[in-house]
Amino acid sequence: MRDEACLIIGGPQGAGLETTAQLLTISLARLRYGVISDREYFSNIVGRHSYIHLRASSIRLPRSLTYPIQLLGAMDAETIFTHFQDVERGGVLVYDLSTENKAFDSIPSMEKELVDRLKRLFGELGVDGSIKSLVSYMSRERGIIAAGLNYADLIASFAKRIALPAQQASRYVSAIVYGAIAAFLGLNQSSIEYAIAARFRGRDQIISINKLIVGEVYQLIRERHQSPVTLAPSALNQSELMVVSGNDVVAMGKIVGGVRYQSYYPITPAADESFFIEANERIEFDGSDIASIVVLQTEDEIAAIASAIGAALTGARAATCTSGPGFSLMVEALGWAGINEVPIVVTYYQRGGPSTGQPTRGSQADLLFALHASHGEFPRIVISSGDHLEAFYDAIEAFNLAEKYQMPVIHLLDKFLANTITTMLPPNLDNVRIERGRIVTISSGAQKRFDSFEKLPPRFVLGSGAIIWHSGDEHDEWGHINEDPENREKMYRRRMEKLALADREIPEESRLSYYGEDDADVLLVGWGSVKGAAIDSIEELGKEGIKAAYMHLRILSPFPSRLFKKIVERFDAGKLIAVEHNYMAQLAILINMRTGAKIEKSIVKYTGRPIYQNELIEAVKRILRGESRVVLSHGP
Amino acid sequence: MAPDLADYKTDVWVDWCPGCGNYGILAAMHKALAELQLPPEKAVIVSGIGCSGKTPHFIKVNGVHAIHGRAIPYAMGIKLANPRLTVIVNGGDGDLLGIGAGHFVALGRRNLDVTVILHDNRVYGLTKGQAAPTLERGLMPKALPRPNIQDAVNPIALALSSGFTFVARGYSLMTEHLKELIKMAVRHKGAAFIDVLQPCITYNDIHTPEYYRGRIYRVEESGWDPVVKDPVERRDKLLEALRRSMENGDRIPVGLFYQDPTRDIMEDRIAGRLPSYLANPPAAQKIEDDGKPVITEKIFRRIFAAYFVKTE
Repeated sequence: MRDEACLIIGGPQGAGLETTAQLLTISLARLRYGVISDREYFSNIVGRHSYIHLRASSIRLPRSLTYPIQLLGAMDAETIFTHFQDVERGGVLVYDLSTENKAFDSIPSMEKELVDRLKRLFGELGVDGSIKSLVSYMSRERGIIAAGLNYADLIASFAKRIALPAQQASRYVSAIVYGAIAAFLGLNQSSIEYAIAARFRGRDQIISINKLIVGEVYQLIRERHQSPVTLAPSALNQSELMVVSGNDVVAMGKIVGGVRYQSYYPITPAADESFFIEANERIEFDGSDIASIVVLQTEDEIAAIASAIGAALTGARAATCTSGPGFSLMVEALGWAGINEVPIVVTYYQRGGPSTGQPTRGSQADLLFALHASHGEFPRIVISSGDHLEAFYDAIEAFNLAEKYQMPVIHLLDKFLANTITTMLPPNLDNVRIERGRIVTISSGAQKRFDSFEKLPPRFVLGSGAIIWHSGDEHDEWGHINEDPENREKMYRRRMEKLALADREIPEESRLSYYGEDDADVLLVGWGSVKGAAIDSIEELGKEGIKAAYMHLRILSPFPSRLFKKIVERFDAGKLIAVEHNYMAQLAILINMRTGAKIEKSIVKYTGRPIYQNELIEAVKRILRGESRVVLSHGP
Repeated sequence: MAPDLADYKTDVWVDWCPGCGNYGILAAMHKALAELQLPPEKAVIVSGIGCSGKTPHFIKVNGVHAIHGRAIPYAMGIKLANPRLTVIVNGGDGDLLGIGAGHFVALGRRNLDVTVILHDNRVYGLTKGQAAPTLERGLMPKALPRPNIQDAVNPIALALSSGFTFVARGYSLMTEHLKELIKMAVRHKGAAFIDVLQPCITYNDIHTPEYYRGRIYRVEESGWDPVVKDPVERRDKLLEALRRSMENGDRIPVGLFYQDPTRDIMEDRIAGRLPSYLANPPAAQKIEDDGKPVITEKIFRRIFAAYFVKTE
């Protein structure tokens, strides 16, 4: 029995992979296992290879993914060709017997580079290139249990017994794979039934068909195979867990945080968040409407941010949600929000750039862009969340800070978080506060929106009864265009000093966190989605006698310079390592700009796949052996 | 006390060129607002960039002087978040039909209750006279180094085909007529558009007051009834309005081309999904109770129940 297991389920995009992963995650959560899973996919609707990489734990809520995997669930031949090298010796392969004669060089969806790599490898391994030959190699040389099922025959046999329309039959491949994996992991029947009922809520026929197929495949596997990957009963004691994606949890945070206007233009990997909010646009409770949220799909990202600014001017909490290409279009209006002190929130899910880049892959290459986008100088707050729960609270805090300091807030996330589904402890809403700053909703007559008497002037809103002006031109206290040099100096300085005020008021301890022992002698420094792999890695390194710690930067502007310097001063310069999903180690550059400190070592990854715990541990060891830069690349 | 004309004027010096067509538009707006008795605190004028962009500073109602081309999306956000506000957009031809053309079309599709006033002088004035999207091909107003090589867009036809439900043309030197059009447009429920022809005294030496004199005629005097009384009339009225929009030579029609009060507005479409939207729009909603979110733990658990897994 294992404390933890890692597995990959792969298949063509559109084949029900997500359904399998959701069923599996819900049933694992039902049995109190901690789960984290990442979805990797091409920019494609149907046909290209997609996979879900999942880690389940009986001893903790896992924060990161790692290799090797113990189980590979293949819906098609490409999955086996793509991932077989990652299956641990003695692990499990679930596959479709009808793919046995497929050859690696006859699959059109496989990229040529992978085919070329396999050609060389198969030559070395003595594999003839067919699934049959590869599976036989895997079981013979690597002791892998090959659980072959003929998916089409199984479905045909079910179709004989129950009304299963032919065109729907292939949808149940996901049920077969789920049943087989559940059997190998040793999940019980009730957790499986719970997951099916939850996933297909309200669709009784689909529930009963799934129960039948999953149940029978489960029995079949149990009869035929001993499992080397059975999970130990969970040692966790949570009575409930949430199962959420990053998009879900940010949307939930925004709803709790009071978003009342959300605009967006469709873009991966951000759009699901807006769909989530739209699906929950009307919140009723005990017969009354608690919230009515306007979600508008605009004609482009410029309109998305411009309309969010308009909504924010009326006092509604307003946000937009995008990724790099969309944010690139938004930056002019961002500057308008800066000079007009408008509290908008831009939720920014980074993906691989530049240009279209890798639209469905992850990245952290937009840190310096988010911090500096738009011409001229104006203050902004940039928050980046390291995990789902943090993202939930940050989505709320983003609005609080925007309104309090009257400036745009960028909530900088990434594709890894967006598409990672995890078991999360339910947030505690008791400690959540809504702070609206100096908003004025009832007033009358012409008012100075930009009263320079105070750093944070009363924020009169449109519709409050006041008459107010705003202008993207430098303006006077009334908001009218003004180019007088003394006025310019006064208005400019007051705007810029708001960031200094935020820097004094937002506790530095909330802007960065330190994980690990106080007497650690190696310090990883990172932000955003690096957090999970970094914390998991320092724990493992600790077990191997390497005292490593992780510093997580959460608020990048205003940067917590004083606390940062205080923490790093006790580390040798050569023991500071930046860990980031970009080429330049952008956080290290930012740190140097803000504190003067130089981080000379870096571990970076820019393939668009997550940083895995195993490769990060290995990279830290290489740095300790004297390398100054390690470029990670694991993951197909 | 009811506001009078003076109450709609600010003391900001109007810095347009002497003789600019914008003065006529501004005068028509001041009068229209006063005659409508529109409470200044409930009106918002949104503008883009350029000479027309300064309009809100000269009118004592709420003013939002936005960025180039984006006045319409700013206005949409304001109106959607607070549908109780009367929202008017003032933009130039380059602003609304060049850089911002996509938003212009999108507003028509939504039929949101916003009025758009196009300052149409066929040149970019503030950048010294370049060709605007409403300047015909082959013409060479005095600042152009070579004749205009691009064709003109037809603002009326574009508005009609985009879905605006009130489409009119005015002329800046016919202030009374323009004022009446503005009043009608503001009263109209839905996306309203007025193409206002105006001379640019400094950079357009072709479309001068002399040019327009003798060409302009009132479309209503030709016996055209532009108002759709029943949705079945839409197609024919729209086609006739389009036909009339093509008139742009010796005779240039001004007045109301088309009005369709029978098409539902965006606000009502939203209210169809959010029943309390109009009574309690986003801007008016309470989001906290003594600093605590109105979405309490109990409500959170109820609405997101599907994301909770009770463990065995």
